[in-house]
Amino acid sequence: MSVIFGKWMNTLPTVAAAVGLGGFVTVVGGFWYWATPKFWQVGYMPHQPALTEMQLAGIDAAKPLNPGMGLPGTQFPGFSHQIHAGKLGMDCRYCHTKVELSPEANIPNVATCYGCHAETHVDEAIVGASKVQFVRTAYEHDESINWRRVHKLPDYVRNFPHNIHVKAGVSCFSCHGQITAMPVVYQHEPLSMGWCLDCHRDIPVNPGKHLVPPDKVTQLVAVEQHFSKVQAGQPGDFPGFDARRLYESLRMNPPDNCGACHY
Amino acid sequence: MSAHDQCPSSVKKGKPGKAALAAEARRLSRVSGGASAAPAWRSLEEVADTPEFRDLVEREFPAGASELLEPATRRTFLQIMGASIALAGAATIPGCRRPDHKIMPYAAQVPEQVIPGKRLYYATSMSLPGGGAEGLLVETHEGRPTKVEGNPLHPTNRGKSGVWAQASVLSLYDPDRLKYPSFLLKGETARRPATWDDFKAWSKEHFEHYDRAQGQGLALLVDKKSSPSRDAMRDRLLKRFPRAMWVPYDAADSETPAAGSAIAFGAPVREQLSLVEAGRIKAKVIVSLDRDFLDQADPANLIHQREWAATRRVLTTQDEMSRLYVVESGMSNTGACADHRLRLAPSRIEAFAVMLARAVAHKTQGASWGPLQNLLAGMQAPAGADIPPQWAEAVAEDLVLAKHYQDGKPAGTGTYRAGETLLVAGPTLSPAIHALVHAMNAALGNIGKTVSYLPMSPELAAPSARGLAQLAQAMDSGAVTTLVCLNTNPVYDAPADLGFAQKLAKVTSICLSTPATETAAASGWSLNGACELEAWGDTMSWDGAIAPIQPMIAPIYDPARSDLELLAIIADPNAAILGGDAAATAPAGSPAAVAQPAAAQGATQAPRTTPRVDDGYTIVRQAWRAMMGGGTGEAGFEKAWKRALHDGLSPIPPQQPEARQVNLDAVADAISRLQFGAPPSAAALEAVFAPGMVYDGRFANNGWLQELPQPGTRVVWDNPALVSPATARALGVLPDNWSDTRTSQMYTRKFPSGQRATITVGGRTLEMAVWILPGMADHTVILPLGYGRQIAGRVGDGVGFNTYLLRDSQTGLTARGVTAARADGEYPVSSTQAHWTLEGRTTISRAVDLLAWQKHGDPAKNPTEPPADPLYGHKADLPINFAEKVGGGELSHTPPNVSIYPHPFTGTRTGIPAGAAMPFSKGPQWGMSIDLSTCTGCGACTIACQAENNIPIVGKKEVAKNREMHWIRVDRYFTGDDLNEPAAILHQPVPCMQCENAPCETVCPVNATVHGPEGLNYQAYNRCIGTRYCENNCPYKVRRFNFFDYGVKKFNGDYVGKEALESVLPDRGGITGSGRHNKLNPNLIPPRLREKLSEIEKMQKNPDVTVRSRGVMEKCTYCIQRLNEARIEMKLHDLNVMPDGFVQTACQQACPTDAIVFGDRLDAASNGGTGSRVRQMQESQRTYQLLGYLNTRPRTTYMVRVANPNPALRRPEEDPFGHHGVHGHEGGGHDDQGHSAIDRSTFIREQARGALDKGYALSLRVLGAIS
Repeated sequence: MSVIFGKWMNTLPTVAAAVGLGGFVTVVGGFWYWATPKFWQVGYMPHQPALTEMQLAGIDAAKPLNPGMGLPGTQFPGFSHQIHAGKLGMDCRYCHTKVELSPEANIPNVATCYGCHAETHVDEAIVGASKVQFVRTAYEHDESINWRRVHKLPDYVRNFPHNIHVKAGVSCFSCHGQITAMPVVYQHEPLSMGWCLDCHRDIPVNPGKHLVPPDKVTQLVAVEQHFSKVQAGQPGDFPGFDARRLYESLRMNPPDNCGACHY
Repeated sequence: MSAHDQCPSSVKKGKPGKAALAAEARRLSRVSGGASAAPAWRSLEEVADTPEFRDLVEREFPAGASELLEPATRRTFLQIMGASIALAGAATIPGCRRPDHKIMPYAAQVPEQVIPGKRLYYATSMSLPGGGAEGLLVETHEGRPTKVEGNPLHPTNRGKSGVWAQASVLSLYDPDRLKYPSFLLKGETARRPATWDDFKAWSKEHFEHYDRAQGQGLALLVDKKSSPSRDAMRDRLLKRFPRAMWVPYDAADSETPAAGSAIAFGAPVREQLSLVEAGRIKAKVIVSLDRDFLDQADPANLIHQREWAATRRVLTTQDEMSRLYVVESGMSNTGACADHRLRLAPSRIEAFAVMLARAVAHKTQGASWGPLQNLLAGMQAPAGADIPPQWAEAVAEDLVLAKHYQDGKPAGTGTYRAGETLLVAGPTLSPAIHALVHAMNAALGNIGKTVSYLPMSPELAAPSARGLAQLAQAMDSGAVTTLVCLNTNPVYDAPADLGFAQKLAKVTSICLSTPATETAAASGWSLNGACELEAWGDTMSWDGAIAPIQPMIAPIYDPARSDLELLAIIADPNAAILGGDAAATAPAGSPAAVAQPAAAQGATQAPRTTPRVDDGYTIVRQAWRAMMGGGTGEAGFEKAWKRALHDGLSPIPPQQPEARQVNLDAVADAISRLQFGAPPSAAALEAVFAPGMVYDGRFANNGWLQELPQPGTRVVWDNPALVSPATARALGVLPDNWSDTRTSQMYTRKFPSGQRATITVGGRTLEMAVWILPGMADHTVILPLGYGRQIAGRVGDGVGFNTYLLRDSQTGLTARGVTAARADGEYPVSSTQAHWTLEGRTTISRAVDLLAWQKHGDPAKNPTEPPADPLYGHKADLPINFAEKVGGGELSHTPPNVSIYPHPFTGTRTGIPAGAAMPFSKGPQWGMSIDLSTCTGCGACTIACQAENNIPIVGKKEVAKNREMHWIRVDRYFTGDDLNEPAAILHQPVPCMQCENAPCETVCPVNATVHGPEGLNYQAYNRCIGTRYCENNCPYKVRRFNFFDYGVKKFNGDYVGKEALESVLPDRGGITGSGRHNKLNPNLIPPRLREKLSEIEKMQKNPDVTVRSRGVMEKCTYCIQRLNEARIEMKLHDLNVMPDGFVQTACQQACPTDAIVFGDRLDAASNGGTGSRVRQMQESQRTYQLLGYLNTRPRTTYMVRVANPNPALRRPEEDPFGHHGVHGHEGGGHDDQGHSAIDRSTFIREQARGALDKGYALSLRVLGAIS
């Protein structure tokens, strides 16, 4: 009688189980790691702004500032937060107005851009006319300049109330990263529910790790340095600031229930 | 009814048969006779309690609700899917790339005061049918109106608003609106598009022809409204064309109130009712003769509702209360609010009015009746079995004397009432009866006290029907050659005998209309009008307050013009009215501004000082400048004008209403000529034409109004003829399978339907459906107006029956000698009356008589239960308040908490850890109280909720399947054991109860519905996978499931690949709302193929609330978006305690009677807060929990309705306690303290045994509750 099922086959169940388990673990682990906002969302970096044909028309393609960052097919460098917020040191709220009042941190209207980039205001040697021609074009035609949304919350989350977070001393840095160093803004944090909750649940325990003086929330470099020191267990950069006292004086109660965001 | 949710003591003896139960219920109600003790039923079938009905209520959804497709399911499904796949193609497969969302900031400047992301309110107003107006605040988001609310400064609204105002924002975004002018050449059938410039050029030439004859041959048919600016434009137009016909017209309007007051006072007046003053009740007895003064069709209904509610809101046992008698033909919300209600045909109401007047005249001492005294004494109104003999006598006695009753017998002779009563007469009654009612008010001393008068403008007093008849005749004879229709639709709503459509073809016609109308489609010129949220204007409300209308948004279909601007174009052909004209903005002195009208002969007749007409803004501003007089300079006026725009109210104080002398001779003369005629019979019915939910049809394309259950019937998307059960039997129009013992079949079938019948009025016939409405007058048929529109849009087309086809120009709102004959077949009707039925209905809506409240309602006699009970356990040993005792002390049967899940906030089952905070002890803890005493069932809460929370409409067919999406519904209950004559009608709004022990939470497999720290029951849409377990487990039936993409896709709309689908799915004659556009139920079309909402429709959505897609459960969350925003605002402003009223839910904000109160339950003055009204209400002895014995701990509570019956007509019930309802109860064991305590374990065992419910018993055993 020929041996159909050889002795080696006795190991088959074990091997199969091991391979199956290994495969399962790999799939689950892979899913666990890669199928997350942390993997998919962080680093999203669309070129800015999204110009219309007419706005693009006057742009000179001569000297790109940040090669590779430009609009595909053109040498248009795009808007740089690094220059505006970093080098020039403009406060976030110069453009993102009403962030203390409104749930939205607003995108500036064209007049805000034009306030500086009108022909007469800027030294052509510093900013080439061609680079900001789209601002003037948009202003003249009373057109909106479109921007691409970088920080998008998951569906079914109504909004992120910027106003109350700013009031509570949550720095822009905590969610948006070091914007002042970004030529093109990218998503720095996963903005997932777990990430939100991590902070909301930790603030009552360690307010110092998350809060800064409310008047310093837009000073991103100072905030970053402060937090790096706090993380290292050293006293922070804001002398006299007691996060716990701020937490209590504002009667903070960071919600961690569904109804805070989902409705 | 399964027994386990009822009192265990009553099922001790085993389960009695259904017949026995029903008999017992009737016996009980007869014995007590009280409103509270009678079994409550929502519909006819509930009384019979048949197996079909049991099946209906016991199912989670009624038959068909959870089925995807109709019969021939599988084949249809495959067909659709096949078409779907064929059409979908690879292009629609979504890519994996992140969608490219654009953010579009403002271009040059952000408009003043706009903070993107924050809402902004503007004050405006809106004219309403019937000559009234409301002052409004409109919520705008970046310039886009999304929600309408009442203006707190406006004396009519005081922050409240009515159904039509709430729904007006949807009409703004109506996708079927007229979008551009068009004209129809003679002999052609297709309309040609045009521009406003074309029209202006044409009209300049055209109207110049009329100059020579001073406007002879020109006629304007305008909607009735009170607007100073339009009056000014009318005067200007008539200056150029003095001989033009100006015809104010309102199809659903009655001319008898104006005519009646003209008899009594010599001139038409606007009645101003005044029921309360500074907290004191002025009108202690109110008698309404077919006057639905609380209904939205009454132009002053907001004032009436507010003041009437103030006379009914008893909070302590010492509080006074008014008494309301309603004699009516239909079954209105006002009738439902009455203490005594008599149902009579309109002609019989007239007879009753005369009988009442005679009795009052007989009893009034010293009052001057003049010639009426003898006339009435000698009059013999035809008596009949329908008028109970004691009624006129008892009502008259009550009107004249205030009596004190003891033990059902009057103690003493009583004291004379002087000026503390009120009589009102309705539009169906003849002018003579109106005059007689004025005379009675005068004799009772009411004039100047509870009722006073303002003059009625000729515009409002103009008889619509006669005016239209004259116009039609003039058009026919050639006397009128050009007709301008301003916001009127005579082709649809003119009485049938006028043949208006044919006559319109004889003349040159111009129609200005915002929605699509039949008249616009038939007119030579059809002009797209701007609606009141897009244009300048002004209004005068019924009480005389003048308010501006300011545009919230530029016309969506620009250019669109308002009626004022069109009148300006006609009045002055050179007016700089159009956008392209430089003169509109030309500075003074520029050539454009000084150019004089050259050719227009008429214009030179106007004084030189007449300013040039411009756009609506200039027109209104000039009219206001003239109105305010020359006293203030330009700067002063500018200041006052800005203030008026800000406040939404003119600084001109409204004219004070005044008392007037009744001309008794004229009244006597009118009464002496009164003809009663034969009482109606089954062979000669009386018909009442009543304006429907869409008024005269003008709101037909508003889906919110179409889907709002109508008063009485709770029918949606239709207007069946209404008759009483007895009349239906006499006429033989009961549904096919109707029988006394099986009344249920009519409504419990998959699609409920009404019998078709042929109605004949004066020789004209119409075949329409008949719906049976308990509580209506016998031998009367109500024919609601405003339906059966042919050209209204995708929502309104073909909905219901056009009852205008039965009217002739002679009859007003009533007709006699009407016949109804059974026709073949049935007609599907969707009604919500049996939807979302709750178990244990006998104690759901509770009512007591005032006497019982006075006797037992004292808090000292009923210690209120402590508000918080840590373990939510058995409560038999706790004190029970008055209202709970009225419910039979059912709270004493509360089971212990047997959930296996620990409650996150109460620690139930696991217990509160030592030292931990008490559950829900940190504020705010939200709660809501709904006062059944003051709820009129108007539905404003439902529409307000719909607008605030992006609640979609679903259509007639879906409603038939019980899929309506309203988060707050208004239940209507009848009580009593006579189908034809219900003892009382109760309305009960039911939002989510926000149970602290929520049954929905424990069954959700994915934790999509969870509890919040503020006591809310959250619904996380993105977690929901649509199992609908929560819906099944909700005892209140307040959860709504998105079976389809109701909110995301177009309603009844077009869809991609229409042809392909129709080739596989032939026309099957769908019954959904719109017959024309809806050959197949569009909800069955796969979502991918259905067209999404257009950008215009999306603009209505509230950006603060998710738009839910299909497969998601949703429900009321107390407007959580407002709560969250309020909490943030509070912190931004460094407020520690949220003041009461800082946040309002949408339903509360709209409720005209303040029946809905919302707030923080912990906010008490003793806690250092401001003291919330909701706490005060919930501590009241009148507050009870709905199905409280289920131990759900609802946050929404109800207050027992209190009725104030006249002991001479019905002996008030003094002791309403004990069990009532459909299960028998062996006496004893109930004392004043409610149910006697029973042992907890006994109770549970009884539950298990009595219910014979093995599953329940098993679960108890598992939990260790029983061994």
